[in-house]
Amino acid sequence: MNKKLFALLSVLVLASMILVACGPKPTDAPATEAPMTEAPATEVPATEAPTAEPTPVPDVPIATYDGTTLSVPDCDYGGWFKSIEATDPSTVTFTLCKPDPAFIQKIAFSVFGIYPKEWLEATAGETGRTSEGLEKPVGTGPYMVSEWARGDSITFVANPNYWGAAPEAETLVFRWSTESAARLLELQAGTIDGFDNVGPDDFATIEGDSNLHLQIRPALNIFYVGMTNTFPPFDDVRVRQAVAMGIDRQRIVDTFYPRGSEVASHFTPCAIPNACEGEAWYEFDPEAGRALLAEAGYPDGFKTSLYYRDVVRGYLPQVGNVAQDIQAQLKENLNIDAEIVVMESGAFIEESAAGRLNGFHLLGWGADYPHVTNFLDYHFGKEVLQFGALDPSIYEPLIEGAQIADPVAAAPFYEQANNAIRELVPMVPIAHGGSAAAYRADVTNPQASPLTTELFAFSDPGGRDVFVWMQNAEPISMFCADETDGESLRACEQVIEALYGFEPNSAVPVPHLAESCVPNEDLTVWTCTLRQGVKFHDGSDFDSTDVVATFNMGLNIGAPTHVGNTNLWDYYAYLWGLMSKPGE
Amino acid sequence: MNQENKVAALDAEAMSIKSVSLWRITWRRLFRRRSAVVGMIILGILVVIALTAQWIAPYDPLQVLIGIEPVKQRQAPCIHLFGCPEDQPQHIAGIDGNVRDEFSRLLYGTRVSLWIGLSTVTFAIVIGTILGALSGYFGGWVDNVIMRIMDVLLAFPSLLLAIAIVTVLGPGLTNALLAIGIVSIPSYARVVRASVLSVREMDYVSATRALGGSNFDILFRRILPNAMTPLIVQGTLGIATAILDAAALSFLGLGAQPPMPEWGSMLGSERNQVFTAPHLVFLPGFAIMLTVLSFNLLGDGLRDALDPRLAHNT
Repeated sequence: MNKKLFALLSVLVLASMILVACGPKPTDAPATEAPMTEAPATEVPATEAPTAEPTPVPDVPIATYDGTTLSVPDCDYGGWFKSIEATDPSTVTFTLCKPDPAFIQKIAFSVFGIYPKEWLEATAGETGRTSEGLEKPVGTGPYMVSEWARGDSITFVANPNYWGAAPEAETLVFRWSTESAARLLELQAGTIDGFDNVGPDDFATIEGDSNLHLQIRPALNIFYVGMTNTFPPFDDVRVRQAVAMGIDRQRIVDTFYPRGSEVASHFTPCAIPNACEGEAWYEFDPEAGRALLAEAGYPDGFKTSLYYRDVVRGYLPQVGNVAQDIQAQLKENLNIDAEIVVMESGAFIEESAAGRLNGFHLLGWGADYPHVTNFLDYHFGKEVLQFGALDPSIYEPLIEGAQIADPVAAAPFYEQANNAIRELVPMVPIAHGGSAAAYRADVTNPQASPLTTELFAFSDPGGRDVFVWMQNAEPISMFCADETDGESLRACEQVIEALYGFEPNSAVPVPHLAESCVPNEDLTVWTCTLRQGVKFHDGSDFDSTDVVATFNMGLNIGAPTHVGNTNLWDYYAYLWGLMSKPGE
Repeated sequence: MNQENKVAALDAEAMSIKSVSLWRITWRRLFRRRSAVVGMIILGILVVIALTAQWIAPYDPLQVLIGIEPVKQRQAPCIHLFGCPEDQPQHIAGIDGNVRDEFSRLLYGTRVSLWIGLSTVTFAIVIGTILGALSGYFGGWVDNVIMRIMDVLLAFPSLLLAIAIVTVLGPGLTNALLAIGIVSIPSYARVVRASVLSVREMDYVSATRALGGSNFDILFRRILPNAMTPLIVQGTLGIATAILDAAALSFLGLGAQPPMPEWGSMLGSERNQVFTAPHLVFLPGFAIMLTVLSFNLLGDGLRDALDPRLAHNT
């Protein structure tokens, strides 16, 4: 009995040593990959869920649609559109309920891609899209779906009637694999031409291989440390400034973020126009921070709490570790004792949004559309309570800026707002969490779009006929009007085009199916002139009624074509508002 | 007078002989059980580690080594003796997710865990003993009320009850200790009550009562010291349970809060890295296992050693 015990003990000790010794180095990590699989742009908005949740009482449709005009009687339903009208075959007029400076950025989102009117009607089933509608969408894009071998691959062929430059490769193939290590192996073996979401530890391998190319994706998100200025000692601006100087943000990004991430110089990522007007954030200077704290009456620091939710996002890939590092830094640099409080996600969002958290809170935001208003107005608008009482010097320029569609004309206002944010420190911007794609070195125009809208028609795979792309997962469906998943949207983007799109590797909108969209004086009426001579994959001509029919399909809950895959219409609901009112 | 003195002297002598021999027999029996010896050795080592942690730990357990040493987050253990290059800093148990020395944190964790075990069990024993003794000594409605409350407490799964208590009080080590202390009261109260019930019928108790001893005197001078034996065993085993429960609460984020080096929370915060950085999950788990094992071995040994029915074996 006793001998057995001894034997058991020694075996356990030995086994433990062997396990530790033979365990993979922390670098071979499949586990840390999870956060990177999230596409920033198509990620369900981080701090606010889409408003479209199925309600027990069915909503009542309020829109009227006659084939050329989609309209609602009044704007009381809370959405953006008053009417969408095909004024002539090449003109569509969007009348809004309220001014929208970001109209073009929103309309450029691939979810709002244009389908032929007849096809929308033909593929609308009783309760959902037909399989034809879900797997072989008809659009105007450079590629057409040739075959979707479920579980294996999707094959696209070049659209012979494409209005723009013909695609570089005749055939495009989408494949998928959840393991970044497996994707890298395929790339090294030459069986694929590019893949997305390079594992954190494969960066060096790819950079060291002359046959491969690493393409860093600019991040369109922000992680910040918020402070509510209605609670002492955060009511003293010097305390907040001290915190702004007392956190070594570079150290956080270097240690806890994947390559491609960067320290935030401003709240909004600089890839977005006007985001980085105004002065960059404070340099790390713990002595100046301590001096400011002493001046504010806290020479020995103070005690407070550090709230966060244990939820992994692209902007915060290692939640607990970052929280502990900020805690350690506050203690070491400023002698602030912050007790960590982990909250349940829903309660955390509710409490932080209402400005009821007495202490620091760790939160972030991923772009819904690449416009500075999507970042600044959502966080520092007049009505926002999250950081306590906001100073007019922050929100007044934002109100002015939101009246102007031209980025150059709006720039001075965003400079004012950014400088006021830097001066008054409602929060400390820490990092933009990034990711990267990898390509074979001979692929031209390698892309890693900040919005994950890579258009492979622009890339020549070293003269080969087939471009093979590998992503994390199989698309859910290719009826992307009713999808939110980034892996699905990227496949759709090769096939479907919206009125606007984005320049490769940037968040700057460029005209696609529209030649231009021009607003009226107060940004409430946008008139879009459509491109002439564009043909859909099925040979039909593109005109303004297709645009109205597409929006009717997405917005008008009473339309027979308002059927999709999930029937949630998350992005139509979130960015425009479905045309409905609550049922009685 | 003379006679009386003699009797008293004899009495004292008898008592001292008896008490010395009881402990000696217990010790002797304990040392004959090899499992108990192993338990005591492990426990001894752990106690030494806990007492000397600040001298034997190579690093401050809270010190973040970013910028101080060329180490990476979650780096595997580097032991010079086993071939790790000399130019790299030695970290016997590797680096944790916040770039701190895992070995130092494990050593300091000993201190936290032993303190958790001792403090919760002390708390539970004190309250449990008082309740059990009152209940057993007075009987009647006192017994009924106290024991029914204990039954209610026992009816809950202990960890769930502890979680409920911590949720009400708010997360934190002190509250977790209180919760574990509260949920372990009933077992001590029952043990003490049972012994008190058997001891209070003894002749010497009746004698004290006949001599006019107060209730307090009888209960705390005569009965309780003689009812201690099962409590010692229960307490030793209870420390193991308390350490496990505290680790479970910390694992769930309800016990020790970061950055305190507590094994349960160290394990919990790195649980997703079990394949990437097994040392961060495995070593704290091993430390918990070792501590619990030592108390269990010792408790088992004590039970056997203190059991009069096994006396003829020695």
